[in-house]
This record gives sequence, structure tokens and C-alpha cells, in this order.
Amino acid sequence: MTAMSPVAIDDTVPASGRAPRSGTWRLTWQGVRTVAQLELRQRVRSTRWVVALVVWFVVVGGLTLLLSGALSSETMGSETETGPLMFGAVVYLVLGLGLLVTPTLTSTTVNGDRNAGTLATLQVTLLSPAEIALGKLAAAWLAACVFLLISVPFLVLALFRGNTPPSALLRVVVIVALLLAAVCGIGLGFSALVSRTAGSTVLTFMSVAALVLLTPTLFGLTFPSITQEEQVTVWAPPASWNYDGQPECELTTQTRDVSHTERTWWLLGINPFVVVADGAGTRPTPPPDDTGGGTADPLGSIRDGVRDLRSPDKVLDECWMYGEGTAPAAPDRHTPGPVWPWGLAANLLLGVVGFVVAVRRLTIPSRKLPRGTRVA
Amino acid sequence: MSFAVADEFLAPPPAAPPGIVVRGVSRAFGSVRALDGIDLEARAGRVTALVGPNGSGKTTLLLVLAGLLVPDAGSVRIAGHDPVTEGPAARARTGWMPDAFGTWDSLTARQVLLTFAAAYRIPPVTARLRVDELLATVHLTEFADRPASVLSRGQKQRLGLARALVHQPDVLLLDEPASGLDPRSRVDLRLLLRRLADDGCTVLVSSHVLAELEEMADDAVFISRGRTVVPTPVTTQSTWHVRALSLGALTTWLTSVGATWQPGDGSSPDGPGSVLMEVSGEAGAAALVRDAVAAGVPLTSLGPVTGSLEQAYLTLEEERR
Ligand SMILES: Nc1ncnc2c1ncn2[C@@H]1O[C@H](COP(=O)(O)OP(=O)(O)O)[C@@H](O)[C@H]1O
Ligand SMILES: [Mg+2]
Repeated sequence: MTAMSPVAIDDTVPASGRAPRSGTWRLTWQGVRTVAQLELRQRVRSTRWVVALVVWFVVVGGLTLLLSGALSSETMGSETETGPLMFGAVVYLVLGLGLLVTPTLTSTTVNGDRNAGTLATLQVTLLSPAEIALGKLAAAWLAACVFLLISVPFLVLALFRGNTPPSALLRVVVIVALLLAAVCGIGLGFSALVSRTAGSTVLTFMSVAALVLLTPTLFGLTFPSITQEEQVTVWAPPASWNYDGQPECELTTQTRDVSHTERTWWLLGINPFVVVADGAGTRPTPPPDDTGGGTADPLGSIRDGVRDLRSPDKVLDECWMYGEGTAPAAPDRHTPGPVWPWGLAANLLLGVVGFVVAVRRLTIPSRKLPRGTRVA
Repeated sequence: MSFAVADEFLAPPPAAPPGIVVRGVSRAFGSVRALDGIDLEARAGRVTALVGPNGSGKTTLLLVLAGLLVPDAGSVRIAGHDPVTEGPAARARTGWMPDAFGTWDSLTARQVLLTFAAAYRIPPVTARLRVDELLATVHLTEFADRPASVLSRGQKQRLGLARALVHQPDVLLLDEPASGLDPRSRVDLRLLLRRLADDGCTVLVSSHVLAELEEMADDAVFISRGRTVVPTPVTTQSTWHVRALSLGALTTWLTSVGATWQPGDGSSPDGPGSVLMEVSGEAGAAALVRDAVAAGVPLTSLGPVTGSLEQAYLTLEEERR
């Protein structure tokens, strides 16, 4: 058409008879890759990125070495006991730092581009809003995964301490990667919603802080309100027992303070640290009568704790301390199911909400503009 | 509607289909009515100037045409497609150059263009040829592999133009394209737009620098306070610059013959200076020269003040916002 060239461009534009909004959710690999490549180039070229990677490696590596020194056999006794503790500590270190770094990867991606005047020129191309949003998300997630991957050596180091199944490494890496993807989605949503980059960054960090810190706080604060006096079945020594010899425990109905944590367990369940602990799949906790001096498996303890909160025992066992077998209710005592699929799904849902918000905000032509912004 | 500004802007052959048709378009930002009933038609094969003072709604109109903003009312057709309901179809045919072109700091000029080629779904092999050609067209070949962030404002502007052309659009929307360009680049821009128009492209150029529009535009549309306005046609009376070696001698003579004039440049009556006055065409000018010389006024030059666009513009009753 123009003066410049005989080069033909094939017309990939959909026929004009299509539904009006057909373009918004159109996704092609080529389109997503174009945006992701642009984002990564923009980031990777900057030296800031390399510095961040080095700092990350040094921090994670340094703390891991400090930990392994602190948890050495001299200070902790038998070497085998420290394996799960070490593994749990490194996992939480990586997750914690990941949750600190990841929000910055997407929280300015849309409004930053808008302020730099590069967003509108991208929007007027044939890229669909979904492609722009997904490309930005993919680039940020890839960057987050690089941070995660350079932490893997330290997780492997912790595995060598023993007593942690190697599959836990794979599970932890996958779950943390998905959690970071969710954080990327949340940041993307805020960056599309808020016109100031500082505002969206703060909101993203606050969302992550709410997931990590606010959920256990709320769980603790609501605890009194879910606790009430109730008649419950108790497996206890008979009232006549005179603390002499082995009691003949029996089932009685008594009044006890009962906490209905099955109503609030989800507050803990959506916490990323709980999700990882429950999903890590470390060794099952040995039964209490195993006199191995207890286990130092933080991930396993959190897993067992939150699962018990989700489905508290129907029968209160007050006889265990006398070493007399298990409560007769044991047969119908259900093994509590894992909570991490729910928690992970909830986190991913938040990420998807962010993504959808971003796509809607990127859809042109726009009716409303974020306050105080110009398109160009 | 397009308005034939003066004789030199002759009507085109009527066969050319309109590339841009705008009917009654309005758009408000909160309480600010940026567009308030715009009607315009820009024909294929012609360069149409969009003229208006700051804040008159030029940029907003171009955003609506580019498919970035939904108009509150009215209809738009870009090469036959509605940018609101047939977004992708309209955008595929539209090349839009914003007034400020942001670039990605760490991409080279070539990478910027290749990215946009990919975004317009041009196959990579075709894209590489096209990008080389465009870089040559806007004279950025030697900067092709340098980061776009180090380009000067004018060079960025040229890169922005290349970006708007990457997918060979039928309709070109340029928002103040000449700002920041050196004279050489302005001439290049004018020639390029001419060539594009001759090849059937519809070109709409906004600017408030009338001299530069004058050189390149075939038609002109005036907008003021978000409305299309029709300037009173240019009359045969036009304003001329009359310059003499002695300003005093000139003004004394003009006053003595009862002519009305306005001060031009030059302040001291003894020194050289000029006045502005209404002259009825070339014939009037010839008469003026003859009479002045006969009266011994040391006349040095005589010429129409401005181009016809500026004349038309000045007749608009409007204020800057
Ligand atoms: N996003 C926006 N929000 C609020 N007001 C706006 C916005 N964009 C433009 N305006 C207002 O609309 C009017 C027209 O602006 P614009 O189209 O940029 O003018 P021009 O390009 O002709 O100088 C101005 O008064 C401007 O302040
Ligand atoms: Mg403007």
C-alpha cells in the first residue's frame, strides 16, 4: 500500500463480521512470546537484574551455610535429626525472600509502561489485551523462577542432611513457583488498576503481607469466638481412678471448651508458608510413643497441626499420657486430608483475578481512564 | 468535512474513497468536553491537516481514531471499519504516531521496530526486510543497533514515524510529527508523506505550526474547543508586510494617503522597519509599490504575511485553552 516496499503482509485480521469483543481474549503463542521477550529484554539488559541475582545467591547461600553451622551435630546431637529442620529452614528462607522480591517484578509493569508512553503504542497493535497481560505475567514469572532455580543447590544441600525424601524437593519447587506466579498475577492486577507505580507496589506488598501475616493473626483473634463450652465425648480415666497404676480408661460425656477450628482453618490454609509446609510431603511424623526424642521437622509439624485444626478429633483423648493404647474411637478417626490444594488454589485464584483485571484494563478502546492519566 | 483552504488546495478527483469519516464525535473527560461534535472526512491519497490551538482536542480526536478511546457519541470509520466494534480490523489498517513517543530503554532502534512488526504479526523474514527499509527511509540506519534511549528527540520522533509505518497502514494518524525535527528532517517528512499519499494512503497530520502544515497538506480541518469550525473563506483582501529603509518615511506617507496600517517590526522612525496592512491582491500590491516609489518612500520589500492556512486560522474566533 505504501510507497516503500513491494513486501506483502498477509492479512491476518479477522473478518469484520465477528463479535465485537472477540479480540480481547485471543491468545497466540507468537503474541505472548513477543510481549514476554520485550519485557525480558528490557529487564535482563539492565545490570540491576544481574546484581539482584548475585545478591540473592549470596544471601541464600550465606544464610544456608550459617544455618548448617548452627544445626551441626555438635550443637544438635544426632546428625540425622537435623535434616528436616535444615530443609524446612532453607525452604522458608527461599519462599520468604521470593515473596519479597516477586511483587516488584510485576507491580509496575502496566502503569510504568503507561507513564513511559510505551503502553498505548503496544495496545494499538494487533496484540490482544490478553496477550499483553499474559506476556508480562510470563516474563515476570520466568524471572521469579530464575531466583528459585538458583536456590535449588541450597535445597539439595539440605537434602543431603538426610531424612527428607528427595520428592519433597520437587514438590517444594513446584509449589513455590506456583505461589510466586500467583503473586505475579496480583501485582499485574494492581499495576493495571492504579495509575501510580508507587501505589501499586505498596498494594502488592500489602496483599502479600496480608496473606503471610494477617491470616495467622486473624486466626488467633477469632480463636476465642469459635471456642465454646460443649458436651463432648471424652476417653478418660474413670472419675474413681486414684492415680494408682494403669487406669481403665472409658468413654464419658463431659463439658469441655471446644474450639471449632474447622470453621477458621482456612485462614491458615491460604498462608503460603502453610501451603508449602503441607505440600512438601516430608516424612510422616512418627507416632508419639516413639521415644526418638521428638522430631525436628518444622514442615511436618505445621502440616500435622493445620490438618488437625481442619478436622478436630471427635473424641477427646485424655488417656494418652498414661500410655494405655489408643482411644477406642480410633477406627472411625478419619485421617485428615491435605489442605495445600485448597490453599494453593486460593492463591492462584487471586493471581487469576489480578490477570483478569489487567486484561480488562488493557482492553481498548477504553471508556474510562485511570484518574490523572492521559493515553498519550 | 474537509475545507479547501485556498485556490492552491484544489478539490481532488471525486473518485477517491474517504479513508477517515468522523460524524458528530464527542468525548468528555469528567467535566472537560475535549471533543464536542467533530465532523471530518479525510480522503485517501491526500494529506489532511488537523489544525487547532493547544487544548482544542487534536490529540483526543486522534486517540479516538486510533481506537484507543471510545467516543461518547458519534461514529468513526477508518478505511470502512469502526474502531470500537471492529477494533483489530481498524487497527490493522491504522498507523498512529503519538506526540511523545516513549521507547524501551534497553532496546535498539532495530529491536523496537522488529518488536512492533511481530506485534502486527508480520512474519520474521518479511519483518527484517521491512525494518531495514524503514530505517533507511527515516535515516536511522547508522543508529539501528544503538539503544533507542540515546537517540535525540528528533531521531526518536523519526523512529516513532517508522514504527507507525511498520505494518504498511492505509490510514496514517500523526500527532505533531514535525516537533523536534530539524529542517532537513521536516523536508524528508513532507516528501515521505507526499509519497505515502500518492500511493493511496490517507494521511491526517495534526499540528499548530502552520507553516509546516502549509507545505505538506492538501486539505485542512480546523478544530477549536472540540468542534470543527469553518473559517471564513480567505478573501482577496490579505495582510501584507511592507518594509522600508526608513520606518518613519513609510508611516508618514501611509498616513498622508489615508491608508490603514498596523505596526510591524522596527521601532525607531529613522531606522528600517515594516508595517502590516490590508492589500487587495497582487494588483493592489503593484499599485502600492508604484505609489510609494513615486512618493519617494525607500521601499525594500513587500509580501503577503502568511500562508493561506495561517490566514484562515487567524480568522477563527477562538481562544487558547
Ligand atoms: N485524560 C484526560 N483527562 C482529563 N482531561 C483531558 C484528558 N486528555 C485531554 N484532556 C483535556 O481535553 C482537552 C483537549 O486535549 P488535547 O486533545 O490533548 O488537545 P490538543 O492535542 O489539541 O492540544 C484539554 O483541555 C485537555 O486538558
Ligand atoms: Mg496534542
